[in-house]
Amino acid sequence: MAVYKRGYQRYRGELTGRYTRLLALPRFVWPRLIEQRMILIVLIVSLFWPLACIGFIYVSNHSELWSGLGGDLGKFLQIDGKFFRYFMDTQAVMAVILAALAGPGLIAPDLAHNGLPLYFSRPLSRLDYVLARLFTLVALLAMVTLFPAFLLFAMQGGLAGMGWLTQNWRLPFGVFTGFTLHILLVSLVALACSAWVKWRTIAGALVVGFFFILAGVAEMLNNVLEVTWGILLNPAQSLYTVWSAMLGVDAGEGPGAWACVAGLAVLSALLGVVLEKKLRPVEVIS
Amino acid sequence: MTLNFRSRQIWTIARLELRRVFFSRRSFWVYGLALFPLLIFVMQTIAVEYQKRTLSAVNTISPALMDSVREGERVEAVLERLGKPSRDREYSFRRRERDGEEEVRIHNRQLHYWDGQRRANLIFQEGVLQNIHIRQLVSIDLQRLMYNGVFHYYYLKLAIFFGCLGIFMNLFRGEMLDKTLHFWLLAPARRDVLLAGKYLAGLLAASVIFGTGAALTYGAMLWPVESAEVRTFFAGPALEQMLRYSAAALLACLGYGSVFLAAGLLVRNPIIPAVVLLMWESANGFLPAVLQKLSVLHYVQSLCPMPAPVEEGTPALVRMFLAPAPATSWPLAVLGLCSLTAAILYLAAQAVKRLEINYGGD
Amino acid sequence: MSAPEIVFDEVSKFYGEVLGVNRVSLRIPPGITSLVGPNGSGKTTLMNLMTGLVHPDRGSITVRGLSPRDPERLMRLTGYATQYDAAPRGATGFDFVATSLLLWGYEPREARQRAAEALERVGLTEAGHRKVAAYSKGMRQRVRLAQAVAHDPEVLVLDEPLNGLDPVVRAETIALFRDFAARGRHVLLSSHVLQEVDVISDQVVLIANGMVVAEGRIRNVRDEIEEHPSQFLIRCSGASRVASLLFERDHVSEIKVVDDRQGLLVMTRDRNEFAAALNAIALAGHTIESVLPADENVDALYEYLIGAQR
Repeated sequence: MAVYKRGYQRYRGELTGRYTRLLALPRFVWPRLIEQRMILIVLIVSLFWPLACIGFIYVSNHSELWSGLGGDLGKFLQIDGKFFRYFMDTQAVMAVILAALAGPGLIAPDLAHNGLPLYFSRPLSRLDYVLARLFTLVALLAMVTLFPAFLLFAMQGGLAGMGWLTQNWRLPFGVFTGFTLHILLVSLVALACSAWVKWRTIAGALVVGFFFILAGVAEMLNNVLEVTWGILLNPAQSLYTVWSAMLGVDAGEGPGAWACVAGLAVLSALLGVVLEKKLRPVEVIS
Repeated sequence: MTLNFRSRQIWTIARLELRRVFFSRRSFWVYGLALFPLLIFVMQTIAVEYQKRTLSAVNTISPALMDSVREGERVEAVLERLGKPSRDREYSFRRRERDGEEEVRIHNRQLHYWDGQRRANLIFQEGVLQNIHIRQLVSIDLQRLMYNGVFHYYYLKLAIFFGCLGIFMNLFRGEMLDKTLHFWLLAPARRDVLLAGKYLAGLLAASVIFGTGAALTYGAMLWPVESAEVRTFFAGPALEQMLRYSAAALLACLGYGSVFLAAGLLVRNPIIPAVVLLMWESANGFLPAVLQKLSVLHYVQSLCPMPAPVEEGTPALVRMFLAPAPATSWPLAVLGLCSLTAAILYLAAQAVKRLEINYGGD
Repeated sequence: MSAPEIVFDEVSKFYGEVLGVNRVSLRIPPGITSLVGPNGSGKTTLMNLMTGLVHPDRGSITVRGLSPRDPERLMRLTGYATQYDAAPRGATGFDFVATSLLLWGYEPREARQRAAEALERVGLTEAGHRKVAAYSKGMRQRVRLAQAVAHDPEVLVLDEPLNGLDPVVRAETIALFRDFAARGRHVLLSSHVLQEVDVISDQVVLIANGMVVAEGRIRNVRDEIEEHPSQFLIRCSGASRVASLLFERDHVSEIKVVDDRQGLLVMTRDRNEFAAALNAIALAGHTIESVLPADENVDALYEYLIGAQR
């Protein structure tokens, strides 16, 4: 029977809101990501270090467990900016690995199979699509960064009391802002790589290579040219500097936190340009 | 079919692949990786020339005067004796001496002096000389050390590693992704012949790109050095060193190439073998001696004229790479790496015989 | 001399838990053989199995006496036009064909000459120096065909080779297949456009859900399916009377009078009985001008054999 004879009518019911509509994409993708064995393994492994940190917080707040041991243990077991920076360093690496596994599959298959026209024929703009993909990854990375950080603060706050939190208010601020910056940047890198090379497996390698190669390039620049601004080319080191400033910890030589923020902003803009150039609703015949 | 025929087939396959590896747009980033240090050394040459001019323009002191400076001197005394510095920079920063104490503001001043060859960087804290850094602006020894660091940390552990990852993974896994692998599998050639042809193409391309990159960078490293010093260096160990670095680059391509070619056949996702190998190579120095020999880097570093430098205060991500392996004699290193490569290629040949076309899976 | 048959012996192939083909046993003689079945029925799997692109989990295959695990010898006598574009990025049609000939071991000069001839055979001489990426669907089909025939193979395997071809090129392509078959070679093609294989095939293999449901010449396949009602078109005068006489027979299940009332479309469950009944009617004085089988095409068989499984 011809379609017109079936008497189809356009949908006249209520539409979901513009922003809640975006959630359709992450809602569809999250279960598939969690189903992937490697992602699940990395998610589980990512909890080891937070668990160790929780153990550390517990011990540090129960002086009766170690007061008899003497030495300078009290200083070592202090929960301060350095402790949270160590926590952030490790979780940040896990976030990069997770982004390298999960990120490339978000855009590359759509481009490789000419799926973008399908998305954009829905009431979704290019910005909506990018935001939806970004949100998918940010939420996943938050599971190994922001949520464990929240747990650590809840535990430390509970054990050490509100006084500690009031005294060290810049620590939660620094950790949450630092992690937010980190996962946004890492997600952008993963999406840009995914859009750039189209093939998810290659894009995954590119995400890992991006961080390692830029670290090497920055180090080389600093050593050969005897400068310190090379770290601006190294997003991991720039983020480290920003975190350190926010946690009130010395970050070593090199440009200050604001210069690093500016460098990261330029990098984010470049990644945005890549996404803007690559995400177009065209069918590529090759 | 004769060995001669199969050898010709291997060369035909390699020739066809070489064109793709060298000239496809996808390979351009590998050129970038290989030639980036060259750019940095060119920038260094320009920077050195600029510094020489600006330092000489203000004041050139005698070498004896430069050597007379001692730690603990007041800034005023130094200025009076040495005269106007080439550069004078003042800044202050906050520092907390102990945890829980108030932060204090510290005033710093840096004076630079130039004696025509060396640059002194004098760091004063609260008006008292704390640190003296005197070094030649540029010298062949410094340049060699710098190049050695670049070669070990950039070329071997980053550029060649990721370059080979891109080139060799693309040979089979890339064709699977492009849905073009059956073109090769439908040729009247044994699968191991196909593997050999593709590996040869990857090896030639990677060796030419990275070998040339390393050699050109070696040349660029010498640009800022005085020509007399360079002539003396070339009369001595220069060519042998350059050759050893090039051989190390070639062997790195040989080893990493075989690993990534095999990985491209055995696994779908290259990130996992890449990360595992990266970790393995980095942790290699801490492993027992027998396990250390199961690493590409171990043999390659043994061929370099100088061991990998270890620096303190290296960032966390880069620190992951710092795992110097104890050296092996060069004939053993070459033999060891060739044996390792042969074993991996044998595994790859078994995998390619079982290889099936399954385009849907990627 | 190699055995001139393609033999599948109890061949099974699974992709993980998904069935590719199951216990397929076939002997394919030279000539044009069509693999017919719906999408996902296992046609391409059979072709990939016989060319070594996938390996069977059980059973064995020989192509003119050669194993698909020996590509060095097998592919010398086989040409396979797959459904995928195999051309390297940026390659022209000519490069694509010539490159594959270099792999076959031809000298560059010979390869270029043969490539030009192959492109001419498929009508792509002028377009040969354009990039394959810029080709239309039909041109891509033709360049793949040119690559498959360029080394003049004994066995030509073609995955849906007539897809996207215009009528003129289709006729030329079919003529090419017939030319190959006439020289005692194997031409194995797959299609789900049933009418086109109906007229060009010497034999047909019907596949559904990874299993061979029928094989052989179309008429022979028909004979194997005795239970299946056959349909005949009878041209006669006094169609109504002939219809009433035929209806008296138990084996006749349905009769339709054609629009011009000069013929009948009769459905019978027994061909022999039907022939005897027509004889009797003719002997009784009714004029039977002609009797033609009305459903002896692949479509009808296809509907009957595998329609229910789709």
